[in-house]
Amino acid sequence: MKLHNAHKTCWNCPAAILKGNVDFRACGQSLEAIRRRIEREGLLIECARLPDLGHFEPTITFEECPEWRPTKYGYLLENMRVMILGIDGYLGWTLALKLGALGCEVSGVDCFLRRKMVRELGTDSVVPIYPMEERLKAAKEVLDIDIKFREINILDREKLGQFMREVQPEAIVHYGEIPSAPYSMIDCNHAIQVQYNNVIGTLGLLFLMKEICPESSLIKLGTLGEYGAPLTGRPLFEGLFPADAVLRWRGREWSLGGELTPRDPVSFYHVSKVQDTFNIYEACKYWWLRSYDVMQGVIYGVHTDEVAADPRLRTRLDVDEWFGTVVNRFVAQAILGMPLTVYGEGEQIRGFIALEDAMECMVRLISSPPEPGQYDVVNQVSGLHKVSELAETVARVAAEFGYDVKIQRVENPRVEADYHPFEVVSTKLPNELGFTPKVPLEVEIRRMFELLTQPHIVERIRKVAHLIRPRTWWSGEKKVVETLEVYRPGTRRRRGFKPRLITDRERFPVSKVEEVERAVEAIGGGEGGDGNKG
Amino acid sequence: MSGNIYIGIAYLSIRKGGLGRGAIIGLDGVPHGLVEDLAHRGVMPNFRELLDEGVLKPMRSSIPAVSAVSWSSMMTGANPGVHGVYGYTEFLPGTYVVAYHSSRWLRAPPLWRRDPSRRYVIINLPATYPAGEVNGVLISGFVAPDLERAVYPRELLGELRELNYKVDVDYVRASSSPLLLFKELAETLKTRVEVCRRLVERLKWDVLIFVVTGTDRLEHFLWDAYRDEGHEWHGEFLEYFRHVDEAIGEVVNLLGEDDALMIISDHGMEHLEVDVNLNRLLEDWGYLKLENEPKRSYNAIRHGTKAFALDPSRIYLNRVGHYPRGSVEKGDEERLLGELTELLQDLRWRGRRVIRRVYRREELYHGDAVDKAPDLVLVPEEGFNLRAGLFREEAFEEGELSGKHTEWDALLYVRGVERDALPESPSIEDVLPLFQRLMEGEPS
Ligand SMILES: NC(=O)c1ccc[n+]([C@@H]2O[C@H](COP(=O)([O-])OP(=O)(O)OC[C@H]3O[C@@H](n4cnc5c(N)ncnc54)[C@H](O)[C@@H]3O)[C@@H](O)[C@H]2O)c1
Repeated sequence: MKLHNAHKTCWNCPAAILKGNVDFRACGQSLEAIRRRIEREGLLIECARLPDLGHFEPTITFEECPEWRPTKYGYLLENMRVMILGIDGYLGWTLALKLGALGCEVSGVDCFLRRKMVRELGTDSVVPIYPMEERLKAAKEVLDIDIKFREINILDREKLGQFMREVQPEAIVHYGEIPSAPYSMIDCNHAIQVQYNNVIGTLGLLFLMKEICPESSLIKLGTLGEYGAPLTGRPLFEGLFPADAVLRWRGREWSLGGELTPRDPVSFYHVSKVQDTFNIYEACKYWWLRSYDVMQGVIYGVHTDEVAADPRLRTRLDVDEWFGTVVNRFVAQAILGMPLTVYGEGEQIRGFIALEDAMECMVRLISSPPEPGQYDVVNQVSGLHKVSELAETVARVAAEFGYDVKIQRVENPRVEADYHPFEVVSTKLPNELGFTPKVPLEVEIRRMFELLTQPHIVERIRKVAHLIRPRTWWSGEKKVVETLEVYRPGTRRRRGFKPRLITDRERFPVSKVEEVERAVEAIGGGEGGDGNKG
Repeated sequence: MSGNIYIGIAYLSIRKGGLGRGAIIGLDGVPHGLVEDLAHRGVMPNFRELLDEGVLKPMRSSIPAVSAVSWSSMMTGANPGVHGVYGYTEFLPGTYVVAYHSSRWLRAPPLWRRDPSRRYVIINLPATYPAGEVNGVLISGFVAPDLERAVYPRELLGELRELNYKVDVDYVRASSSPLLLFKELAETLKTRVEVCRRLVERLKWDVLIFVVTGTDRLEHFLWDAYRDEGHEWHGEFLEYFRHVDEAIGEVVNLLGEDDALMIISDHGMEHLEVDVNLNRLLEDWGYLKLENEPKRSYNAIRHGTKAFALDPSRIYLNRVGHYPRGSVEKGDEERLLGELTELLQDLRWRGRRVIRRVYRREELYHGDAVDKAPDLVLVPEEGFNLRAGLFREEAFEEGELSGKHTEWDALLYVRGVERDALPESPSIEDVLPLFQRLMEGEPS
């Protein structure tokens, strides 16, 4: 049994510098050719890591190449240089430690925008987070991880470019955006700030990559919210329509295969993500950049082995109305004895994934770069849940910890359908990238209770308690939402649609997953990525 | 060193006590017959004049007749068995990964390393990339992916960039439209001559090598435009050779009358009728077994493969111990080579013989680098373009291009000698010894 990316070749590898195309029959040489992809034959690369090999065809597999080492997440480029934009954030910091533990050379930038925004709104991360300096020191002390950090605003292209030139990243993870829908709906200034920061930041980054590191892959965070929730029930495909999708109209038919699926963003923040999607798609087409656009579900949780290794290594967790995501907020409310606030009917369905699982997905994506010119989209979710059911689950776990929790329906400040079908396709991560979710919802919620019930954290939650209940309306109004109904968990009749997650697991049954895991053990590929090739 | 036999005979009788300077002008892929023809038709007046001052002869190219091999033979004066270059491609040792030619492959010293006391200006010499150290200037020719590494010394880079110096025409642009092809050809030649003029005027030099590659490119794309006077690009074809002739004139004008001068090509050219995909044939005959994974290129070779071909006409046995999935044991080699030779010799296309001759490695090559040589090398009959053709569906395909290389009618011109001063049937390996003698002005 092979690791999921064993068969990938230099063609996918960021160390392969494309040198053009040689046609010996015409005795001709062209750099243009690879861009136009006219001839596969005679494609020329040079290995940035093994320059002594000279120029050769990109046909060595990851399995064969001495630079790619087996780990439990697939082959990983030894000491791979990964740059994380937004490294100080909830996900960025967590991923930095995870990659560091796997032996990657991690670098990152952040301008602490998130810390500033939070401060301005009078809120704060309820899990204490340390200044970057101390984070870096602790990473070294506790995990022996060196992270190269620079305080840079992504919009400052000159500085960012300088740093990229210095690091020569082999993969870039772009988390460095303002991640909040309600924040973008506060008022005109905030909407503009979000769109400018996100869209212009990413657009500038694309130009820099073209200039400095066109071979490195861009793993860009989008969100499942880009698609909206089509009332027709049309499945949310992975970015592009599958080959057998058909459009029928007035008795005529067209294949939709390969076209971008419709986007129906649900806030000005989500619009910024859609705009990013188009910019990245074009850049891949024009300049042969390569990218995974990750349509990520809502993240919940606090745990990875690395962030839990020391209090100074913890990542942020916010529960206010702007930056708190739903599960995180429910847990905070439960701990304070507040009823969990469900918007509207609570029948909205969303995609979710635990922090630890999301991090594993990211490692797998980093280790399995797309081909030059390839724009690919993955839907990164492990489960679909109704908001009201999440409240029930949190309440159930809360009870285990001795909290008696109620649920309250409040006015919905957003413009969204309360009832809607929801079918999500997520087949690439489980099948092509070998990912199986490992953290069930309850397990992570339990971990959250364990952490958040520590007295000093409870104290911090209490300080921001007044900011949990929303007052930012999509209409522009500013008023605290009113309660519509309060009920005990387990007492509400289930209504609405049943979500459906399509993973095509049958193509990659569990027995195979176990086989892969055994194979990984056999090659000795641990977290350290120091396994030897057989 | 077969090329040296006639050296030392007193044939350089009309050159008297030379000053020790000399130039070689290379015209990639130009057959002897074409130059003779165009010189007499008035398209190449400078060459016409040179004909009166020296001798023009057909010359044998290397086998296989590709620039990497033939220019390596020219610059070392040696047989591939000595210099170790058998084609543009080789496998990385112990793998099936196709590597492209590098000057590091050369196992015999080229003239500028043999005789480092002389000062060199070398412009666009193929198969010298990456450009190594030289007493003077070296600008590598095709294949040269990065201009930075094609230039020695590096300080020249800025000037070349300013002039928009190009190693080669961009064949994708060129093949998209003949108009673009002619435009690229003209521009490339113009800057090349300009660079030559600047360097020669600026530097002290003893040896000048100046190679034109556009000739080969044009002939590949539009050989038929040369042969056919009614061809829509016939006029432009001749026009380009007029430019080439002017370039020759300009370079010759930079020389002194007593400087040695040779004009050579590395191989000839003829009409391409049909492409022959050797790996397709080997597969059909059961000697080559491939996974159905074109992207993997030769890495798709499976166990059980007995032989495979590399461009243009080299056949290798898939020996146990040599290759990851080697499947030929020592004892089987002779039998397999015999079988393959027979099959190839009998190969027919529309009733016509395809292969003129199947050579065993030991018939062609001798020297320390023979271990890397192909087991068989094929020379085709007229019109047949042999190529590796991995993952091709058909063994014979309508030619994609118009011209193809030939082994026998490269050109050799030497100024200031008489006909009998040259070998009866010169080969590209004779060029260097001849040139050295010429420069030394060996008295009779
Ligand atoms: N957390 C989720 O549930 C979730 C879900 C889907 C998608 N995402 C996306 O994932 C990414 C990361 O999310 P997160 O939750 O870690 O957010 P976060 O706010 O914690 O992290 C983003 C980081 O980027 C930094 N940043 C923003 N703009 C910057 C700029 N111009 N220059 C430099 N640094 C800048 C911020 O300071 C912050 O540290 C975001 O793009 C978000 O939209 C998150």
